[in-house]
Amino acid sequence: MRRVAEYLTIWVPLLLSAGHVVLFTAWTTWMSFTPSTLVPVVGWVGWRNYAAVLGTRNWSIAFDNLLLFGAGFVVLTALTGLGLAILLDQRIRAENVLRSIFLYPMAVSFVVTGTVWSWLLNPGMGVQKLVNGWGWTSFRFDWLIDRDMAIWTVVIAGIWQASGFAMALFLAGLRSVEADLIKAAQIDGAGPIRLYTRVILPSLWPIAVAVLVILLQFAIKTFDLVRALTGGGPGLATQLPALVVYDFMFQRGHIGRGSAAAVLMLLTLLGVLLPYGAWKFYRQRRAARA
Amino acid sequence: MTTIHRRAVLAGTAALLATTARAQGVKPRLTAISQWSAGSDGAAITALGKKFEERGGVWQHSPVPGFTTDMMNKLRAQIMAGDPPACSQLKGPEIAAWSKIAPTVDLTDIVAAAGYEKVVSPDLARLHKPGGKWAALPLQVYRTNALYLSKRAMDKAKADKIPVTWDDFNALAEKMKAGGVANPIANGGTRPDDGQKFEAALVGISPTAYRAAIMNLDAKALNGPEIKAAFAQTRKIADWMDPNTAAQHFSTNLARFIAGDMGMMIQGGWAQGVLLNAGFKLDDFIIAPGPTNNGKPVFLLNADAFIFWQRKDPDLQAGQKLMAELVMDPAIQTMYSQITGSIPVRSDVDLSGPGWSDGQRETARTLQGAIAANQAVLSLAHNMAQENGMTAAMIDVITEFVKNSKITPEQATTRLAEAVEGAR
Repeated sequence: MRRVAEYLTIWVPLLLSAGHVVLFTAWTTWMSFTPSTLVPVVGWVGWRNYAAVLGTRNWSIAFDNLLLFGAGFVVLTALTGLGLAILLDQRIRAENVLRSIFLYPMAVSFVVTGTVWSWLLNPGMGVQKLVNGWGWTSFRFDWLIDRDMAIWTVVIAGIWQASGFAMALFLAGLRSVEADLIKAAQIDGAGPIRLYTRVILPSLWPIAVAVLVILLQFAIKTFDLVRALTGGGPGLATQLPALVVYDFMFQRGHIGRGSAAAVLMLLTLLGVLLPYGAWKFYRQRRAARA
Repeated sequence: MTTIHRRAVLAGTAALLATTARAQGVKPRLTAISQWSAGSDGAAITALGKKFEERGGVWQHSPVPGFTTDMMNKLRAQIMAGDPPACSQLKGPEIAAWSKIAPTVDLTDIVAAAGYEKVVSPDLARLHKPGGKWAALPLQVYRTNALYLSKRAMDKAKADKIPVTWDDFNALAEKMKAGGVANPIANGGTRPDDGQKFEAALVGISPTAYRAAIMNLDAKALNGPEIKAAFAQTRKIADWMDPNTAAQHFSTNLARFIAGDMGMMIQGGWAQGVLLNAGFKLDDFIIAPGPTNNGKPVFLLNADAFIFWQRKDPDLQAGQKLMAELVMDPAIQTMYSQITGSIPVRSDVDLSGPGWSDGQRETARTLQGAIAANQAVLSLAHNMAQENGMTAAMIDVITEFVKNSKITPEQATTRLAEAVEGAR
């Protein structure tokens, strides 16, 4: 009897969620080969939808932005999170309060983050105006309306939002470094900097990989943040793939092309997740052999 | 005149009620969805609902706030579930596109009985009768190329003449700049905002080119000199705008416009309602027709409409008939437009009464003149000229051009033609 209950608790939700993912992925992939516009229709147009999506400026801009935003967001968020974690790890007072404060942005939805930062970064009413008002009138911080820099405003808001999350993971990692190891290093005469660079950080790297992968999949599916912050603008300067998918499906009434864009996004995600999965598999095999 | 129409409407009603025996004895009921939930739009449709109830109907309106596309997503879901609303907001070429995915009510007889077609401009009528059958009814008309002038900015520029041509407009903007108006053009930063600048420029330069390139997507016209000239004019406008507006709504900057820090605004008729709602007075600004180089009025049409979806329930069918009659009724159109600031679709409504503003009277006059000169065309920026997919592809090019001064008018023209090809 107990075994049946166990099977039910594990397999039913697993099959349901797997079915959900697989079914809708298959459906979207099928749609991407049909001439569907306003509603799904049966038919076959081959790669035409893909050609149409890949031929738009929106998609090429979105993909370039994804590379810039993905790299900037992932690396800078991880570094900020690591820095915060190391500082918090110094057995300081009020650590719990600070930790909650840093983690708090994660509890705010991306739409709120985007909207608030769109005010802060607006040169006419935000940081620039404040500093100008203090008397430094030549101060310029107008990335939000600068086509070449606008994507970095999304990075800034993203870092603010997600670095607390990276901090929490890194902090857990820092705390799980064996005390004996640290003691041994200290006895050998390692100073604080050497202790971190040679002993503690190298033992953190499995966590670092996990943080990077989680942040990267955040980056690839970013939608609400950029929609609230820049709306994809100025012009098309901050388009991201998820915006393009939404745009084709729901604004332009091109379900076929929107599905093609969604499948292209999925392939990008797989490009990140498959190597990660292979790496984990390899490590487990090696650990089992050792 | 109105009495005759009323009688015709009544006669039509009687005939319809007689022919549909099933409809007798049922209480007309209408399920409707629209995006109109708040402000003057919400007030107007609520007032329409009251009239519907006064005539013995049950009014079931579910507003979907947000962009029109949000409302469309709800409509799509309902259609796919086989449960469309009896009536929904929909406009422009989307009426023809959507009427292919679900059956619509054939309103031809009821429109004929009301004599409605005679009083609707032909371009507009065409949009509402896909395949020659009326499926939707236009309710109100907006002009998207109205020119709003700030009185205080005019004072700063020491100007009192309303610009007629684009040259006049450019000269006035220069004068305003010299007179200390920080941004001669008031603006928001949204896509339709950018689109309106370009469409107003093109239609003022050449309504013929507008019709060929934007409405008929003629490849030769799309590469023509008028498009380049329109982009060049748009560049001038963009340089006079406040770059800090990012993706703001145009209404964010109305206070600066009235204060004379911004001079002129190219907006739709709805801006009048927004200005008055914000507490500004009609004396604070002037509403004028959009610039036109050939001296004859040009009018960019935007019209809201209701489309009627086929339902089997007799009470819904009776409700659809009642709704159709109300929408075509001059008294209802008067009530509606007086709340929203639009003008009636019917060309025979008298706007001399106290409920109308000078701006609305001028708009109606300009529309008449533009129709007579064959210079009333359908707005691109507000999804009247093309289906949403094509519109979005064209606005992509325009909004990038507005926000990027490195793109030349020649490049923009090429890109526009390419975008049209890609979206076909």
